[in-house]
Amino acid sequence: MNTVIGAIENCRFCLMCRHVAPVGHITHNESVTPHGIALVAAMQRRGQLTWNTSTLDVLYAEPDGGNCRAHCVTDQPLPAAIAAIRAEVADDGLAPPEVVSAHNRIAENHSAFGSYEPATMHGEWGLFVGDVGFNLARETVQAALKLLEACGLDVVPVGCGLDSGFIPCSLGYPKTAHAQARLCIEEVQRTGIKKLLVLSPQDLFAFLQMHQERLDITWPEDVVIIDLIDFLASQVPNLKLIPPAGITENAAAYVDPTHAVRLPERFDAARSLCEVALGSAPLELFWRKDRAHPVGSTAIQFTRPDIGVRLTEARLEDAINRGAKSIVCDDPVTLHELRLRDKSSMRIQGLYETMLTRLPPHS
Amino acid sequence: MEWTGLQPEMVRSELTEIAGDAHVSTDEADRLVYATDWFWLPQMWLDRGEAPRKPDYIVRPKSAEEISAILQVANSYRIPVIPWGGGSGSQGGALPVFGGIVLDTKRMNRIVEIDEKSLTVTAEAGINGKQLEWAVNEKGLMLPHYPASANCATLGGYLAPRGTGTISTKYGKAEDLVLRMQVVLPDGHILRTPIVPQHAAGPDFYRLFLGSEGTFGVITEATMQLDYLPECRLLRAVLFEDLTDAIEAGRQIMTRRLEPFVIRLYDPRSTASRVKKILGYELEGAYMVLGFDGDKDIATLQEEKAMDIINGFGARDLGREPGEAWWNQRYDFYYPPQSLKLPWMYGTTETVTTYDKIEKLYFAEKKAVEEGYREWDIDFIGHFSHWFHWGVMVYTRFIIRNPPDDAKEAVRLHNRVWNTAMTAVLENGGMVNEHHGVGLKLSRFMRRQYGDAWPLLDRIKKSLDPNGIMNPGKVGFGR
Repeated sequence: MNTVIGAIENCRFCLMCRHVAPVGHITHNESVTPHGIALVAAMQRRGQLTWNTSTLDVLYAEPDGGNCRAHCVTDQPLPAAIAAIRAEVADDGLAPPEVVSAHNRIAENHSAFGSYEPATMHGEWGLFVGDVGFNLARETVQAALKLLEACGLDVVPVGCGLDSGFIPCSLGYPKTAHAQARLCIEEVQRTGIKKLLVLSPQDLFAFLQMHQERLDITWPEDVVIIDLIDFLASQVPNLKLIPPAGITENAAAYVDPTHAVRLPERFDAARSLCEVALGSAPLELFWRKDRAHPVGSTAIQFTRPDIGVRLTEARLEDAINRGAKSIVCDDPVTLHELRLRDKSSMRIQGLYETMLTRLPPHS
Repeated sequence: MEWTGLQPEMVRSELTEIAGDAHVSTDEADRLVYATDWFWLPQMWLDRGEAPRKPDYIVRPKSAEEISAILQVANSYRIPVIPWGGGSGSQGGALPVFGGIVLDTKRMNRIVEIDEKSLTVTAEAGINGKQLEWAVNEKGLMLPHYPASANCATLGGYLAPRGTGTISTKYGKAEDLVLRMQVVLPDGHILRTPIVPQHAAGPDFYRLFLGSEGTFGVITEATMQLDYLPECRLLRAVLFEDLTDAIEAGRQIMTRRLEPFVIRLYDPRSTASRVKKILGYELEGAYMVLGFDGDKDIATLQEEKAMDIINGFGARDLGREPGEAWWNQRYDFYYPPQSLKLPWMYGTTETVTTYDKIEKLYFAEKKAVEEGYREWDIDFIGHFSHWFHWGVMVYTRFIIRNPPDDAKEAVRLHNRVWNTAMTAVLENGGMVNEHHGVGLKLSRFMRRQYGDAWPLLDRIKKSLDPNGIMNPGKVGFGR
C-alpha cells in the first residue's frame, strides 16, 4: 500500500480528532468524520465496499482543511491519504462530474475561477496573489499591495489567477497539481523574486508543506516564503496607522481563515493587526485558532458543494452567536466564501482593506 | 438477514416524517460505519473481511419529542432501537446486533443553560464532551469528568455506561455529577427526574438510567455539576519498588481524605512497557503519578502530607516533570499507532472492589490469564487509576500479539480469555466493570454478577420495555 494511504489504517478506528472535525459537526454523521472516511476507504480496499454514489459521497466529503492532523498526536497525514485515494478513483474514471470539470478548468487555464495572467515585472520582493485573490477578490489584493508600498516595498504581484496546486491535488489529480506547482516556482524564478509574500493561507500551506509532502517538489533554497500577515504584523510601527475614532464597543469577530490550523504562527499576528485596524481586540469565535473550522473554500466547493455551503454558514452562525455585527478576515478565499453565503446583515470586511483606511494621508 | 421489500420502506417513510429526509439514512457507507464501535470484536470482524450486522436505518433526531415519536414507530413494528452518542464505547454497547434503528443523538448538541451561581450546566445529551468543556471553560469553569474519550464521546455517552474520568478520584464519576436528566422511556413517554438528586422525597429512581446503556430509555438532556477551574495543578511522579506498598500508600492517602485529583499507579509490567513507550522513561518498579489541585496553599499542603506517606514506604520521588509529562500526554496512549491496535488482540478487563480484596483479585486475575494463555504469549498489564475512600479500580488489560487469523477462531479465543478474567474477578469479589460499561461484551456475566438481584432488574426491564426494542442484547437483557 502507498505509504501515505497507510494512514487510513491508523485512522479508521481512531476517534481522537472528532472534537475538531468540521464536517462531522455540521452533518452530525459519523461517516463523514475522519474516522468514518478512513473506515470506508479501508473497507473499500478490503473488498467490503465498492466505490458508488453512496461511498464516493463519503470520500469526497473530507474538506482538506487540516483540522484532524493539527490535533493528531501521531501526525497521521489523513488529508493526503484521502487525496491519494481520490487520485486512484480519478484514474479509474469514477470521479464525480463536478470534480472532473473543476480539474479540467485548472488543467486548461491554470485557474479554477477565471484566468491566469503571467507576471512580467521583476523584483526582489513578490506577492503571490493566487487564483481567488486575482479573479474574485481584487480589492483585497490592492489593499495588500498598498500596505506593502506604505512599508516602503516595491513588490511584484505574481501568481495572478494561478492555482498553487492545492485544488487539483485535493481533488485527486497529482499530475496537474505537480504542473501547477512547477508553474508557480518557474514564475517566481523568472521574475527574480527572492522574498515571496503569500496572500492566502491556502497557497502558503501548499508552498510550505503540500508541495513537498504530496508532490515531492522542493522550492528553491534561495526563495524565502513569508506569510503576508506575519510580515505586516512586524511592520505595524512603520505603518503608523491611525486608530479609528469613536469605537465604544467591539462588535467585529475575527475569522481564522481556512487552513489557519496548519499555520499556527499566524494566530497572534492576525489578532495584533485586527487590534490596530479595529481599535480594540476582535471578538473571538468559538471555533478559533487551533480549533478554527474552515469555510467551504478548500476543494470542497467542488467535491461536495452542499457541505461547503454549510461550512461557511456555520462560520457566519458562530459569529452571530458571539454577538458580532461584522466579520473581519485577511484571506481573500475565506472572505469571498463568506460574502457569497451571508444572508444576514453581517458586514464582512477585509482586514487589509480596513487597515488601508487607517493609513495616514499621503503615506 | 437483510430486511427488504415494502415494510422497510413503510418504516422509512414514517421515520422521515418525524426527523426529515436529510436525517434518515439507509446509505451503504453509513450502515457500515455505524456497524462498529470501539469494541475489539467488531473491528476485528471487519478487519478480517467478515460482514458485520448493520443497522437498517440511521436516524438523527433533533429533540426528545422526535425520539419519542421514533420509539413509538419502533414499538409498532417491533424494531430494535440502539442509542448512539460518539460510538466510542469499548464494550459493543452501540452495536446493532439485531439490526434496527441506530439513533444518533449528535444533532441534540445545545447547551441549554450555564448557571454560574449554582455551578451547573444543562445540555442536550448529544453534545461532544470536549466542546462542552471548552464552553464552560470560557466561564472559568470545568465539568470535572475528563475521560480519555472526551474528544469523541457525548454527554449521554458519559452517563449511559456510568463513565469515569481521569480526575474522578477527587471529583467523582460522571454519575456523581448529575443533578437531573430528561429521559425518553421505551414507550415514548418523556420524563424529567427531580430537580436535585440529594433529597428524601422518595426513591432514587433516576439512577436506574445511569448504567442502563439505553436499555431502559434514551437520556436526552442532563444537568451536570461544574467546578471552578483550579488555580493550580500540582503533579509529580514517584517510583515504588513494590506494587503492594504502592497500593497501600494509595489507600492511606485516600482514607486520610487528602483529596488527590489523580493517583495513577502502573504495575511493573505497565511501567516497563506503556510508560516507557509513551513517556520515554525506562524504570523498574511501580510508577505512580500523583496530583493535587485547587487553591495552591491547600494543594501544596495536601501534597506534602501525601508525600510523607509515600516516603514512609521508601518510594523514590521522581519530581514534577514526569508527573506533568504524564498529565500533558495522558491521552497520547490512545492515538494509533501508539495505542493497542489490530491485528493484535486486546481487551480491558477493568474491575473495582474494596481495598481488602483488590490486591488478591489483581494477582488472581493476572495468574489466571497469564497461565491460561501462555501458549499465546499473552501479556497482562494494569494500572490502578480511580481511587475511592473504600477501594480502587484496576484497569487490567490483556494483549495477544499473534492472534488467530481466522475471524471465528479469534472470537472464540477472545471470549475464552474474557471468561477466564471475569471468572477470576467474580470469584475474588470484584465487579465485572467499573467504567466502560457492560454492552455486548459483558452481557453474559450479568446474571452471575447480580445473583439474587438479577430478577429485579429483569422485571424492571420487562415493565419499561415490554416489546424489548431498546438496545437488545446488551447489559444482560436479550431480545
